[in-house]
Amino acid sequence: MIRLLQIEWLKLRYYRPFWIMLGMYTTCVILVCSSVMFFFEYIKSKGADFNGVDPTMIPFYDYPDVWQNLTYLASFLKVILAFIVIISIANENSYRTLRQNVIDGLSFTDFLKSKLIFIVVLALGATMLLWLNGLVMASIYSHVHGVEYMFQSTSFLAAYFLGLITYLTFAMMLTFLVPKAGLIIVGLFLYTLFFEPMLSTFIQYYEGTWDWLRPVPTYFPIMSIYYLIPIPFPRYFFMEIQHYILIKEVLIVVAWLVFNVFMSYLLLKKKDW
Amino acid sequence: MILRTHKLTKHYRRTKALDQLDLEIDRGMVFGLLGPNGSGKTTTLGLLLGVLKPTSGYFEWFGKTPTADARKRVGAILESPCFYPYMTAMQNLAVVSTIKECSMSRREEVLEIVGLFDRRNDPFRTYSLGMKQRLAIASALLAEPDALILDEPTNGLDPQGIVEIRHLIRYIASMGKTIILASHLLDEVQKICTDFCVLRNGEKLYQGSVVDALNEDIRFEIASQDLLQLAAIARDFQSATVIEHEKDRLVVSVAQGVTTADLNAYLIDRGVIVTLLKERKGSLEQQFLNILAEDD
Repeated sequence: MIRLLQIEWLKLRYYRPFWIMLGMYTTCVILVCSSVMFFFEYIKSKGADFNGVDPTMIPFYDYPDVWQNLTYLASFLKVILAFIVIISIANENSYRTLRQNVIDGLSFTDFLKSKLIFIVVLALGATMLLWLNGLVMASIYSHVHGVEYMFQSTSFLAAYFLGLITYLTFAMMLTFLVPKAGLIIVGLFLYTLFFEPMLSTFIQYYEGTWDWLRPVPTYFPIMSIYYLIPIPFPRYFFMEIQHYILIKEVLIVVAWLVFNVFMSYLLLKKKDW
Repeated sequence: MILRTHKLTKHYRRTKALDQLDLEIDRGMVFGLLGPNGSGKTTTLGLLLGVLKPTSGYFEWFGKTPTADARKRVGAILESPCFYPYMTAMQNLAVVSTIKECSMSRREEVLEIVGLFDRRNDPFRTYSLGMKQRLAIASALLAEPDALILDEPTNGLDPQGIVEIRHLIRYIASMGKTIILASHLLDEVQKICTDFCVLRNGEKLYQGSVVDALNEDIRFEIASQDLLQLAAIARDFQSATVIEHEKDRLVVSVAQGVTTADLNAYLIDRGVIVTLLKERKGSLEQQFLNILAEDD
């Protein structure tokens, strides 16, 4: 276990694009998650008022809502983390080092494990980053303070972590299937942000759809992760929202996680490298 | 027994890359795997190293069903050297040491052996082809392996590089290591190997020791004042089979067991005074062509 982590660390440590992309992701998360109040001030200055409510009065960073708000927001940036995973795996194919690693005595299972450990560490780091970001922002803007709030409603962070791992294993599985970094990066980007959301919206809201088909998108590989953390913003317009995580949705995501890992395993085992 | 294969077969869609290969390689052998391009050499090694999956048949390393751990005891390079281009020799070997679970301190030692010590902290991508090849050999030596697999180790090298690698392989062989060497450079195999087999279109045509193969094909070089007359007389020698004219001499191929003395006696008997008479050791190249020709 330690050995596999060590191997992965040696490979990435000197790979500058990895650190640059990691830096870009961190910057993006901090920028997006810290600038919501500035954004509210901006739209206020443009004359926006939400049914008479001053946008800057929205308690976006208040405990415990901050966790659902931030995890929802930051999960749109996970595609950047996926790029890191895709590049790290596609490189092993184009340098033919996956093959060399196996020749040198790493089993395919060990190789998969080393990439899984990498994904878990990456997701853990991203979750920690968001948690720290949330703590800082809440300490500035929250109307309530106290250690007990820091860990309240953190199930959203756990869900965020689960969503990240599942998404990253999905990216890994695709890269094992077609080890071409460029193709998978563009494909995954479009699929995540356009194709699946558009298809889902069509299925759910088009009048002519059969009724039995409408709930199907909640089982899609990307949409299931999206539904894990329900959209929080309508609550600021006095609407009822789902402010907890449904076990059923967790189970769907876990099923995808298992599928992604198992498919990766099969691809590694069956293909000639 | 280091390695044994049993009816090892690999098909790619319709082509048979390897067909029912049986091989046995003992400890201490320097084994040459010969064959024209596309004859199944690299496929064989890919199967033995676990990166290709056999269609049928099986093989054993060290008398056991192969595992990833068994591969740690084998040093191997397959086709071109594969390393992380952005890492230095030392960093690349650190990855290999961690995989093979051997000591990091061996790295300097193997880099000394292949003569890359001075460049150990330069990135792999700045290396010449010969240096990359030498790093691959260093990496194969890292875990003090019991067996070494080298696939075309002198491919793309300049004459000096070829000599260096050949010396290196001989040196490694002298340490008592078993070596499997795939090559289409017959001269190389003849100089280094103790045993060899010939593959073509995925089938094994021949297996034997290099010494035996060379002894099967003994030739004499002879010359006299009148080469034409000599050729006519030599043609009638009991078992002379092939006669070739080279620019100032004749090359006579004879059956096994015939000595220079026999030939000399015959020529004296016919009143020919030779200006040159010497035995020429057969070449693996000739044997190789004979083996391929016999099969046609």
